[in-house]
Amino acid sequence: MKMTITAALACTTAMFGVVASAETMTIGITQNNVGVDSYQTTYERAFIAAAEANPDVNAIVLDAGGDVARQLAQMEDLIQQQVDAIIIWPTNGEAVIPAVRRAHSAGIPVVVTNSNIAEQGFDFIAAFSGPDNVTQGSRSAEIMCERFTELGIQDEARVVQISGQPGYTTAIERQQGFDERLPEVCPNVTLVETQPGNWNRERSQQVMEAFLIQYDDIDGVYAGDDNMGVGALNAARAAGREGITFVGATNFAVGYDAMAEGDYWGSIYQSPVDDAEAALQTAIDVLNGEEVPFLNYFDTPKITQDNMGDFTKPVF
Amino acid sequence: MAMHNSKDMIKQGGIWVFILAELVFFSIAGHYWSVSNQAFMDPGNMLLLLKQSAPIGIIALGMTIIMINGNIDLSVGAIFALSAVVLLDSLSWPFMVALGDWALPLAWGFALLTGVTLGAINGLIVWKTGIDAFIVTLASMLGFRGLVFMYNGEQPTSNLNWTLVDFAEAQVLGLHTASWFLIGTVVVLWFVTTRTNHGRNAYAIGNNREAAVNAGIRVGPHFMWNFMLIGFLAALSAVVFYSESGSVNPNDGMLYELWAITAVVLGGTKLAGGYGSIIGTLGGVIAIQLLRKGLGHIGADTQTVNLVIGLILIAVLFLDRQLTRKGKEELKI
Amino acid sequence: MTVLTRQNLGSFLAKQGILIAFVLFMIGFAMVNQRFIAMDNISGVIRSSAILGVIAIGVTFVVIGGNLDLSVGSMMSFSTIVVLDLHDKIGPGLAIPAMFALTLLLGAFIGFLVGYLKLNSLIVTLGMLSAIHGLTLTWSGGKNMDIADKSGTWFSFFGQDRIMGIPVPILIFALLAAVLAMVLSRTSFGRKVYAVGGNGQAATFSGIPRARIVFMTYLISAFCVAVAGLLQASRSLGSQNTVGQGLELQVLAAVILGGASLLGGSGTVFKTVIGVLILGFIQNGLLLAGLDFYVQYMVTWAIIILAVWLDIAAKRGHLWSPIA
Repeated sequence: MKMTITAALACTTAMFGVVASAETMTIGITQNNVGVDSYQTTYERAFIAAAEANPDVNAIVLDAGGDVARQLAQMEDLIQQQVDAIIIWPTNGEAVIPAVRRAHSAGIPVVVTNSNIAEQGFDFIAAFSGPDNVTQGSRSAEIMCERFTELGIQDEARVVQISGQPGYTTAIERQQGFDERLPEVCPNVTLVETQPGNWNRERSQQVMEAFLIQYDDIDGVYAGDDNMGVGALNAARAAGREGITFVGATNFAVGYDAMAEGDYWGSIYQSPVDDAEAALQTAIDVLNGEEVPFLNYFDTPKITQDNMGDFTKPVF
Repeated sequence: MAMHNSKDMIKQGGIWVFILAELVFFSIAGHYWSVSNQAFMDPGNMLLLLKQSAPIGIIALGMTIIMINGNIDLSVGAIFALSAVVLLDSLSWPFMVALGDWALPLAWGFALLTGVTLGAINGLIVWKTGIDAFIVTLASMLGFRGLVFMYNGEQPTSNLNWTLVDFAEAQVLGLHTASWFLIGTVVVLWFVTTRTNHGRNAYAIGNNREAAVNAGIRVGPHFMWNFMLIGFLAALSAVVFYSESGSVNPNDGMLYELWAITAVVLGGTKLAGGYGSIIGTLGGVIAIQLLRKGLGHIGADTQTVNLVIGLILIAVLFLDRQLTRKGKEELKI
Repeated sequence: MTVLTRQNLGSFLAKQGILIAFVLFMIGFAMVNQRFIAMDNISGVIRSSAILGVIAIGVTFVVIGGNLDLSVGSMMSFSTIVVLDLHDKIGPGLAIPAMFALTLLLGAFIGFLVGYLKLNSLIVTLGMLSAIHGLTLTWSGGKNMDIADKSGTWFSFFGQDRIMGIPVPILIFALLAAVLAMVLSRTSFGRKVYAVGGNGQAATFSGIPRARIVFMTYLISAFCVAVAGLLQASRSLGSQNTVGQGLELQVLAAVILGGASLLGGSGTVFKTVIGVLILGFIQNGLLLAGLDFYVQYMVTWAIIILAVWLDIAAKRGHLWSPIA
């Protein structure tokens, strides 16, 4: 039996010739929290599809369920299984650093996907693949400011911000980008308050309900993603407050629909499919010894009611 | 008496049979479904299993004695988080920074003290007011979590100290630091429950509180000691885990109470109190971690993991009850 | 008219302690911020408490029957996702009964395990918390569920409309509370629930079908969860899979605050509603007072301990526990 296989293998090799990269590589991924929102679920599907489409890749797909302890255990499992590369979507940008160092010292290259780890860990990773979240934040600020200028309220507008999960690098970077860029483009707009919505639509709705109770005058809402943005929009609708400019990021299907209805102004177009494929490709490139930029960003353009026709509706 | 022992054997053996079944299943299933060419039963993998069981395991061991008492502690997840916050934050206090590496044992001390104090608060309320421990700790689960948020808002508390990480990652005789702490806790608590007065009292109180009071056992202080013990262990678990990861989110440790209770029940401890064993709980903890690890090994997706873990919990409860009933009938005959 | 002696004043205070605390809180917050007692604020608080409240009413039955239900949060996520998904597939008219049927099926399963098989309710519902979450993710494929045509559906009626100026969720909450309060206090079924929870053994000997009563309490709980899922889905017309996560503990807090004993046999629908409102108004009041949300956690902690303590102190006639 064993001989047959060897023979068959020899035949295949002979037929296709010797290709250096024909050796299959095993790539393990530990995701943050699949099922918590559509983005992560679509990402997982796209990742599995991309891995299956590539005959050279075997993928081990794990989900940490948002729990740091579970993610560290999964990192250990992947190191133990001697995979060729690990892709990690960190649950906490700092807590995973020691585990990443362990993979690094075991000689396994680590690619961080979607949300980066803190800078102290940069020595131990091969690359980061994902969106440039600081730029996303500043682009959202620009969208907001341009809209205020159109409405003629650029000198008096008051904005509230609903940020993502505290301590999560994506949330920190988007907030940083927005906070820095807004005063540059619209110096007279006031950012009244920022509260975390934890990437959760319900939580964001509650935060917005509280803002509406506290502040009579709100002209704009910046949410760290559309899921939270739509939560805020729902709160404003329920309270009967109109004329608020909603700007988000990571354009979800609900955000796209709300834009089409004219309730939601703009967002940042970011595809989980691109995200997943870029992460897998980065890992493959690293394993094949190709040069990859350390911060491997894929492009995430602005989308507003004005140009949404250029984009297809997000699938998630 | 011999009857009683054989019944115990069946019950406590149950969890280990289950673990064996898991090992066999995942080894065979892994052979077909896993993309990894590593065997599931690889010794290195089994050593990791012990280490990964430590965070919930150390808490669950403490939960066992609480549940033998007929009490429960729902606040352990919040105690875990607050102790971790104290551990990591105290390292950046100016006088601690000045101490250099000597600050590390001190930080551990602060964190453990936090756990003991919070446990003492629970214990004191249970003792003095007579409110059911379920309600007391449900309320303090909220209250302690509030303290976590008060400490640092919704921001994570971080302090990546490589000396601490190296200590936590160290391996002695092949076992990781966390595993040693888990084993140490098992040994100490096994001794306490089976060889000391305190342990005998714990069972007596759980069996029949009135009778225990009549026998002169001071139930109130006894409860208080046990709540301080579980507070200490929740903090110990946090200290061991966060020494290795260096950053705590304010929501960390949520649902840990439920996992710990699950492990204790899987290990054969009765919720009504009066019956249970430390070794059984160790089995329960390992069974859960093995299930997670195994499902990951064969590539099960998130929803399957949730579904399977939930249903297995119910199935084990059912089987356990059938076994117990069988034992009772035998006793009658 | 009884003479108001010091003793029965004491027992009155203790018995109605939760109500008195509630009134004092309202007055206190109203003095800090006028806006607190504005009509639109009060109606807003009740509306956002409605979902928690509806579930808490159902759980009250389970708790009086001497059991626990930790699966309600997870189950509400299931109901919400299912009804939203079916809305676009078979239309709202069929989606709602289908969702109720499926949720009741889950309730029946739990009721069977706890009632007929006599398994421990804490562990069964803990297991179901995880299992139902898995079921929800399987149903939705992990995706958020959204109604495609949000403005063109009458489905938004339950969560967003008003009748005679009163938000529909409040009406549903009030109606359900009134009906189930009647069931609990005026029917023989209600009396049996108390009997089963008060002393399960004695209830069996006196010919009350314990298993069937417990089974029924879980059906009622599941029904209430389905109503809450409907309100939630209708309110936002779209949802994540984790929408009900953590609700079970808030619900328990409200039920306990209302004075139901976890040992079973005591509690009323009315008091649970008060418990729910207290939690809602505290949250709102602290927010209006400009305090951070974590203060709410700590205040809830203190209030639960004090309320339950007063309650049992009144019953035993001593403030301090007799435990040595």
